[in-house]
Amino acid sequence: MSGFIKERLIDNNAALVQLLGLCPLLAVSNSAINALGLGIATIFTLTVTNSLVSIIKPITKKEIRISLFVLIIASVVTALEMFMNAYFHELYLILGIFIPLIVTNCIIIARAESFASKNGLWLSVKDGFFTGLGFALVLFIIGAIREIIGQGSLFSQAHLLFGEFGHSINCQIFKEYQGFLVAILPPGAFFVLAVLVAVKNKLQK
Amino acid sequence: MSSFIKIPLILSLVTMLTAGLLMLSEDLTRDRIEQQKTELLLKSLEDLIPNQLHDNNLVESVIEIYEPEVLGHRKPQTAYLGMQNNQLSVVAIPVTARDGYSGDIDIMVGIKSNGEITTVKIIEQHETPGLGDLVIASKSDWLKQFPQKSFQYPTKKNWLVKRDGGEFDQITGATITPRAIVKAIKQALDYYQTHQAKFQIKDVLIIKAEKTS
Repeated sequence: MSGFIKERLIDNNAALVQLLGLCPLLAVSNSAINALGLGIATIFTLTVTNSLVSIIKPITKKEIRISLFVLIIASVVTALEMFMNAYFHELYLILGIFIPLIVTNCIIIARAESFASKNGLWLSVKDGFFTGLGFALVLFIIGAIREIIGQGSLFSQAHLLFGEFGHSINCQIFKEYQGFLVAILPPGAFFVLAVLVAVKNKLQK
Repeated sequence: MSSFIKIPLILSLVTMLTAGLLMLSEDLTRDRIEQQKTELLLKSLEDLIPNQLHDNNLVESVIEIYEPEVLGHRKPQTAYLGMQNNQLSVVAIPVTARDGYSGDIDIMVGIKSNGEITTVKIIEQHETPGLGDLVIASKSDWLKQFPQKSFQYPTKKNWLVKRDGGEFDQITGATITPRAIVKAIKQALDYYQTHQAKFQIKDVLIIKAEKTS
């Protein structure tokens, strides 16, 4: 793995190290499929906004750069919301407010300001994709752990994302599992995130 | 060029581009979103008004009802009418239980013309996960005790959870939610019996049915 990718996926992971974007990270990670849905939406948004910000770099003025970034991010997310509404309608209803809230995910404006506005198109696309992937991976891992502990299942409701194929990957890991409520409720997200951060720090020492 | 002109120019340019992007995506997705909404609606109505019990277009055979006192509505709601040979066969009545444990519980009750329940569906609820929300269909069989029930059996005064001396199971550790839902279903049945005439607006429906055929 090149240093560029490793930096974004692990060493300087947006969720585990910078602890950015915690709101969706904690709220939507109650099942693997919800997490995956929002993760993919975030990767897409980051990649597109990063490339647009990089493209308008020649006409960006220092005084108005934040307005321009916000304008671009808000429009991209709104467009994304419409497409999700059209093609993944039920998932869209479940994720609800968290799709428009991608606008306020500070990872996105942070990458626009600190990377895309200073670098070329290709590098910005890569940066957006891998930063988003790092975030999505953590979101997905937390979602999967919470779903397994909380409901004893993995990929339940996968058909919302994958259509008919989804029914086949939906698996009940523990039969007759009573569920563990704390894992599903918001505190569960904090516990799992804390464990992940601790494990990562331990491994990297 | 001075920055006085340049900055507004750049801003308007980017604004126009992003507005164009939004218009384009709105245009591309509008029809599909409408279609998805209708599909989802029909899918959720399928259990309430089974396909073999109606031959009309459910999306068009609707009446608006607003009964804040009797049915707990917060805003005007849509009742769906299943018709067979231009006779009312099933009504899906929306009812809101305001006395749940946490916020309103929006319910749809399907009632056949003989007063029997087809299905009860919970449309929206915010009950405690793992306790109150065990009422929803994906988490337990609790709602399955309602189909085929009517005021014939159990009798009206026994439309209560067992703990209150009635006929319906409750859920251990959560009595308030089942109690609220049973009460709401009873109100919907009651409303249907006392307002049957309201659902017999044949003229309007025939006009609509002709439109679709």
